[in-house]
Amino acid sequence: MKDPDSEAQLPLPSLARESGAQVIRLPASPNTVTANRPTANKAGRRTPARRTRPNKLWYALYLPQLTNLGPSQQKKYLNRLAGHMQSVSSNVSFHPQALACEVRSGLKYFGGIDTIHQKLKKLVEEQLQQWDLDNSFLYAASPTISGSLLLARSGHNALVYRKENLRSALGQLPTDVLHLDREQGRRLHNMGVRYLRDIWRLPSDGVRKRFGSKFVDQLDKALGKAPEPTCNYVPPPAFITSYDLPYELENLDRVLPIVDELLAQLCDFLRRRDLSTSHLILSLLHEKRDSTDVSIGLRQASRSQQHLMLLLETHFSQLSIPSPVTAIKIEVIKFDSFIAESNSLLKEAVPGLSKQNDSSLVQFMEQLQARLGSNHIKFVSNMAQHCPEHASVQLDYSDDSNRRNSIGKVRKASNNPRPLWLLQDPVLLHINKGRLFYRKPIAILSGPERIETHWWSGADICRDYYVARESSGSRLWIYQEKGSVKKWYLHGIFA
Amino acid sequence: MHDGGSSDIDELIQDNPALWRGCDMAGQGTTGRSTGFTQLDAILPGRGWPEKGLMEVVTPHWGMGELQLLIPLMRSVVEQGKWILWISPPYLLYAPALVQAGINTEQVLVVKLDTSCKDALWSMEKALQTENCGLVLAWQNWLPTKVLRRLQLAADTGDTLGVLFKHHDSEHSLSQIRLKIEDSYSENAGFNESEVTVIKARGNFRSLSANINLYQQA
Repeated sequence: MKDPDSEAQLPLPSLARESGAQVIRLPASPNTVTANRPTANKAGRRTPARRTRPNKLWYALYLPQLTNLGPSQQKKYLNRLAGHMQSVSSNVSFHPQALACEVRSGLKYFGGIDTIHQKLKKLVEEQLQQWDLDNSFLYAASPTISGSLLLARSGHNALVYRKENLRSALGQLPTDVLHLDREQGRRLHNMGVRYLRDIWRLPSDGVRKRFGSKFVDQLDKALGKAPEPTCNYVPPPAFITSYDLPYELENLDRVLPIVDELLAQLCDFLRRRDLSTSHLILSLLHEKRDSTDVSIGLRQASRSQQHLMLLLETHFSQLSIPSPVTAIKIEVIKFDSFIAESNSLLKEAVPGLSKQNDSSLVQFMEQLQARLGSNHIKFVSNMAQHCPEHASVQLDYSDDSNRRNSIGKVRKASNNPRPLWLLQDPVLLHINKGRLFYRKPIAILSGPERIETHWWSGADICRDYYVARESSGSRLWIYQEKGSVKKWYLHGIFA
Repeated sequence: MHDGGSSDIDELIQDNPALWRGCDMAGQGTTGRSTGFTQLDAILPGRGWPEKGLMEVVTPHWGMGELQLLIPLMRSVVEQGKWILWISPPYLLYAPALVQAGINTEQVLVVKLDTSCKDALWSMEKALQTENCGLVLAWQNWLPTKVLRRLQLAADTGDTLGVLFKHHDSEHSLSQIRLKIEDSYSENAGFNESEVTVIKARGNFRSLSANINLYQQA
């Protein structure tokens, strides 16, 4: 009998009905609950009818002109066309030189198959013209994908609404549309089979034995007797989200919580698609002004909300906005596939640079770049040059190609003493009472080391370098120019 | 016999782990990283540089050998696979000298001189917090106690050693170690040696000094 408690807990009649339907689905004990509810019983009888899949209508597009192109080119073109087909259907499937899309679900919305066809025709023809291809194409629509493809290949441009009519429609097609190999085609021909309907007259066991189950399956699929797998078009990911502030904000600190929420959306999006991003733009929109864009480029793609937030905060600390913010927009420019890192079980096993360490360093560097600007961080590199000014270069950290070129090349440095610090421009030294003088008198400790180079470029260098000691205790690297004017210069400090 | 007796006592003191020896930081159990200069190791608590914290090196002007003093430390930091960050050094860093000293230039990063003081301190704090940076060198003459404290906390979280180079010693600084490098002249070594004074070091009771030839490697 009915449980009085369950009745009491159901506040709405609609809910009660639903719960009734749920009870019906249980196969056992029809005489307890269901017997007391005739309405529910009726629903129970109706359920099998509801379970049958709704009829589908596949619109197939066959482009024989693609056969001459390479496979990668074909794929690229079909991908673009699938993008266009998305405007009429959410379900687009790839096939050799053909595309199929499900249009039954949109028939009512678009107002009939003709409208859909006209719409697609315009898009596809335009696109084909752009690629300098023959802009004619073959098409057909039927309840099965294979059926539509066969009809399209035959050039009938037919429209079959109902599954029952499929057999007679396909029966008229010549066997060429099956795209059989030569041997099979010859055998069918010898058997006197010219049209598909002839095959259906043959005993199916024998056909399966002679032509293989793949052949039979293809025909079964066309008739809707076998399930058809689809190769669905997945549109490239895109992420643009914006938020209109309820009132204008001048203080960027107040914007941060909202940005945090938007980033949470973004990271959720990325996690669902197993992606990460390496470039995104955050726009702060103002009234009657151009938006302030903050571009965030990452050296290593990330989907960590915390990291992105940290970078944005760093950017914000340097940012000044011309007028109050009315809305915020985040757009992802570049998606990357997500590469997970695995932690080592024995953390202390490798004391050197582990991968995990590297990534946290990269994060630190990104933050540094965001704050200071990319050209403020340099790394030094040793060059195989005689000329002291050119033996060391400072390269931008952000310049990846430079960095890669210099990494891994251990260039030999000179064996003679070199100072840790070089003066950007050599300082002229005075001679006071016969002694060299910088801030205090200088005494030479060792030398000379003759460096003579760049004579080919006109700006030839001919110097005698000495290690010297200032009486205050500094150790200096000084040189005397050889030539007509024998002046002394300070070039480095050993420190 | 008298000498033998005192070395015995030394041995006894060294062997007993329950005994607190102020000079050795025995209570904290830290052992330092060797400085590469035996005379300096002898006067530093923990027999070397601390693993983390803040250090001040005072020189009357730049170029007194303050970098030579740290070269063995830099080498060991680079060998550990960590990075050295130079924050706004007063002159251009010259790569051949680093190569000569055996320091991999790929693990050396320089923040340019024209960076504002605020940004420089910010990057120093961030670098100290990052475990990948083994050594952070900065040239800042005067810093308020509050900033120093912040830097020290950052260094503690990141297990990083920060070195501040300055011209003037500040007596009430919170740094773990304060060093002073001065010129010295002795009969046998001439001008080759510098006098390094440990003005203050956590674990030392008074300032100690040693004469070191800083350019022994050069």
